[in-house]
Amino acid sequence: MTLIVRKREEPIGWGAPVIYLGALAVALALCAGLLALYGKPALGGMAVLFRGAFGQPHSLLDGLLKAIPIFLCSIGVALSFRMQIWNIGAEGQFALGAVGATWAALTFSGLPGPLLLPLMLCCAFLLGGAWGLIPAALRLRLGVNEVITSLMLNYIGVLVLEYLVFGPWKDPASFGFPMTAEFPPGGQIGRLSAFFGPAFGKLHWGLLACPLVGAAYAVFLSRTRLGFELTACGEGERVARYAAMPYAMLVALVLGVGGGVAGMAGCIEASATLGRLQPTIMVGYGYTAITVAWLARLKPWPIAFTAYLLAALRVGVEVMQLELQIPAAFAPILEGAILLCVLAAQFFLGYSVRLRDPARAGAES
Amino acid sequence: MHKRLHLIGALALSLILALAGCQNAPEKAAAPAADGPKTGELKVGFVYTSPVGDAGYSWAHDQGRKAIEKLDPGVKTSFVEAVKEGADAERVIENMARSGYDLIFTTSFGFMDPTIKVAKDYPKVKFMHCSGFKSSENVSNYFGRIYQARYLTGMVAGAMTKTNIIGYVAAFPIPEVIRGVNAFTLGVRSVNPKAQVRVVWTKTWFDPALEKDAAISLLDVNADVITQHQDSPGPQEAAQQRGKYCIGYNSDMSAYAPKAHLTAAVWNWAPFYETMIKEVRTGKWTGGRSMWWGMEKGVVDIAPFGPMVPKAVQDKVNAQKELFKKGEDKVFVGPIKDQAGQVKFAEGVKATDKELLGMTWFVEGVVGSVQ
Amino acid sequence: MSPELIIALLAAAVQAGTPILFATLGEILSEKGGVMNLGVEGVMALAAFAAFIVCHVTGSAWLGLLAGGLCGVLLCAVHSVVCQVFLGNQVVSGLALTLFGTGLSNFLGTPFVGQNTGGFRALAVPGLADLPFLGPVLFRQDAMVYLCYCAPVAVWFFLNRTSLGLGLRAAGEMPAAAAAAGLRPQRLRALGVLAGGFLCGLGGAYLSLAHTHLWTTGLSGGRGWVAVALVIFAFWRPGRAVLGALLFGGVMAFQLRLQASGTNVPSSLLLMLPYLLTVVVLVFCAARARRSGAPAALGVNIEPEG
Repeated sequence: MTLIVRKREEPIGWGAPVIYLGALAVALALCAGLLALYGKPALGGMAVLFRGAFGQPHSLLDGLLKAIPIFLCSIGVALSFRMQIWNIGAEGQFALGAVGATWAALTFSGLPGPLLLPLMLCCAFLLGGAWGLIPAALRLRLGVNEVITSLMLNYIGVLVLEYLVFGPWKDPASFGFPMTAEFPPGGQIGRLSAFFGPAFGKLHWGLLACPLVGAAYAVFLSRTRLGFELTACGEGERVARYAAMPYAMLVALVLGVGGGVAGMAGCIEASATLGRLQPTIMVGYGYTAITVAWLARLKPWPIAFTAYLLAALRVGVEVMQLELQIPAAFAPILEGAILLCVLAAQFFLGYSVRLRDPARAGAES
Repeated sequence: MHKRLHLIGALALSLILALAGCQNAPEKAAAPAADGPKTGELKVGFVYTSPVGDAGYSWAHDQGRKAIEKLDPGVKTSFVEAVKEGADAERVIENMARSGYDLIFTTSFGFMDPTIKVAKDYPKVKFMHCSGFKSSENVSNYFGRIYQARYLTGMVAGAMTKTNIIGYVAAFPIPEVIRGVNAFTLGVRSVNPKAQVRVVWTKTWFDPALEKDAAISLLDVNADVITQHQDSPGPQEAAQQRGKYCIGYNSDMSAYAPKAHLTAAVWNWAPFYETMIKEVRTGKWTGGRSMWWGMEKGVVDIAPFGPMVPKAVQDKVNAQKELFKKGEDKVFVGPIKDQAGQVKFAEGVKATDKELLGMTWFVEGVVGSVQ
Repeated sequence: MSPELIIALLAAAVQAGTPILFATLGEILSEKGGVMNLGVEGVMALAAFAAFIVCHVTGSAWLGLLAGGLCGVLLCAVHSVVCQVFLGNQVVSGLALTLFGTGLSNFLGTPFVGQNTGGFRALAVPGLADLPFLGPVLFRQDAMVYLCYCAPVAVWFFLNRTSLGLGLRAAGEMPAAAAAAGLRPQRLRALGVLAGGFLCGLGGAYLSLAHTHLWTTGLSGGRGWVAVALVIFAFWRPGRAVLGALLFGGVMAFQLRLQASGTNVPSSLLLMLPYLLTVVVLVFCAARARRSGAPAALGVNIEPEG
């Protein structure tokens, strides 16, 4: 009995969700096994995870809240991944976006909300985009690998934020703690509950950015010529050049816009969640965004779904922490395991594997 | 086919959102007997910013937590560790409030805003925030005057140094760390006016490799006593390896550097936590307070002296310790000058608590940047 | 800067550069075969824990070292399976490995935070340690550093003078041609990944057994990523990797000593130096070289036939 591996002639169709669910199940089983190894109840632990992520009345709101910045960063990342430009720098772009928004909020604190908030978003977009253009420029001009440059810029970006918050932007009223002054009321994104009632809990207007950005992404990809080129370019620099497509412009676009969108996520997080800038704004959304973008195969709806899923899982892990005293490090283990299993499972989307019976060898060529 | 998947995705999302619309308002915590005495089971929660096992800051708080569990059988405690400050903290604190906890201690300054925010939504739950400066109707803040212990350890360092260069491995340039450096230096200079304290910032609370490197860099510039405001014993190791002295922090670190460890500035949270439990039990707890306890209440102390500390030094330090225990705190009483030589506190003027809490400058004798 | 301070700085640079060098050499092996492994950070983190726990339990630092290396092999085996068997995207698989490895290391290690172990101590080489300049810098280190002196030579020898090494390079440059010539590129690639994993694991073990003797979470501190960058700086050559690791270790040691000397530069800016340097170095390499030296088939999975 041997295994025959054959490339699929046509896409797999309905088998795809089965494969993904299977991968998810394997990953969860592995993590449950890890819990057992650690001395905690395996199935019970997973049950707590699910209850925390989906089962409690506030789980949905908590998950959505966390999903907002993850979703935005993921769109930014997905944009460049489509071109096989590996933008690992969402974390740094997020930081710089928050810095840009803070600058606007502190400099123009007199402006009313309807003027100040869009200004903050613009500044965040510009600064995040500029940070994304640095690896783009280095790659286009000098051929430097964007994985490493964008990664190093993550560390540098966070240090820039820290320098500003510990130094020139430190709030004189904050007793010397590293935080900027609180944003003026016009610069703080309000809660939806003010309009729609307490059922919306802590959800804020930043939520609106998600369908807007997601729709823009979807429309861009499917309806514009540029968007089509984006997918085509992914197959090789040479193909793009051969067809006289503006490769350099596309690279700059995806990294610039992608960085800008991640920057907007930073603005929203600073304004809605913290109300000021402090180093604790960095919680690793940029890295989760990469996981989400990949799991979702870079498509808008799946990105929304996956962003929510991973956000909910993080929330679930927190409940596990509280109830079962499980270390916080369980969340990246879960994320990493899911990603690895899905990567492996995606093989079956492109290839079929069958057992060959030697007795029938003559019938097949 | 892809359109079908899109459709299903849209349906699923709509279903989820519809469910959201049907949700009730977020649950408030089951209200304990309002503000009267609380008998029966008391659920107390602790939120830590670092892992408990690090023999550092969170470990010290956790020792206090264990003490109250022993003290009062009706008290059930729980903790969440390694909680990142920011949005995650808010959710963790809220989870505790929702789950019916009566009293929640948030032990890191970065939890300040999240604590205040959550407290607003859960007025029946009592919150206590450590090392911050905000309070509200159901939030009080607390901290310990560890700077008194720092002063004492500074005296030991000043007496034991031969090169007159003392190294300080420090985490973040925030007031509590700066205050610690200052108190330490004042202690050093009180017995050895020629000594100087050199500061290296690591920008991390616990990274033993980096902290050890920082200590080594100080040893390389001839420091012969190393102390730290860090959670790991990395610097202690470095000092022992070079045959120099070290002074620990948070807890007695002599196990890591038996030949080098002179003493340490340690926390002892048990008395404080026990008092808070008693207050809740008798209904005397109130929010809006700022409690800053010192050696007179036993919240801070120094670790036992290592065998290499001469008796004369021990006696001198112990005498000063007795003064602190009686409530006499003259650490930040003028004349005190800053690094540039400017007089910050005139002769006989005592720094107010507010000035201490917002300290952002180094005293004379400290070499290093405040950023 | 006095001569003593310079010597101390160089000695510290050698120490700081050792784990990075191990990891860089490991990544060179993997990438020479054509498989990019971005999971180095996770491998180092988990290997550090494995080494610590084995040393803690058995009391033997060498067993801990071995455990670290084996742990690296196991984790990289996952990467190899995902990329070579299941044709997973190498970049994403590496990132997943980083997540998983660092998470697992922190998860398993949480009960042990703050505990210490024996590990490697400084071991002066008799005779050589007394040489005027080189003595204190090179020969008063611990056993793992001495091991690290041999590593680049061994890797160079393997890649350039053994048939297995040449086969590995062929698998990385032109796998189809290699297959036609009778080699088995998939196996050679796997060998590169696993051997690289062993070296990365040694780098991780250094952190918990020699650099400090303590365990805490987050011990790897971004060094794995630096190693991946240094591979490019080194043009995939072991010799230059040594230079890169020393340079990087030197910058890390330098910024600390600058602070200790009493500078007024804000520490945030000083902490940026290592990362800025990496970017500058990459720009410098790209600007000067016509050929980068990257294996032609790097990052491209070999499709199964049939």
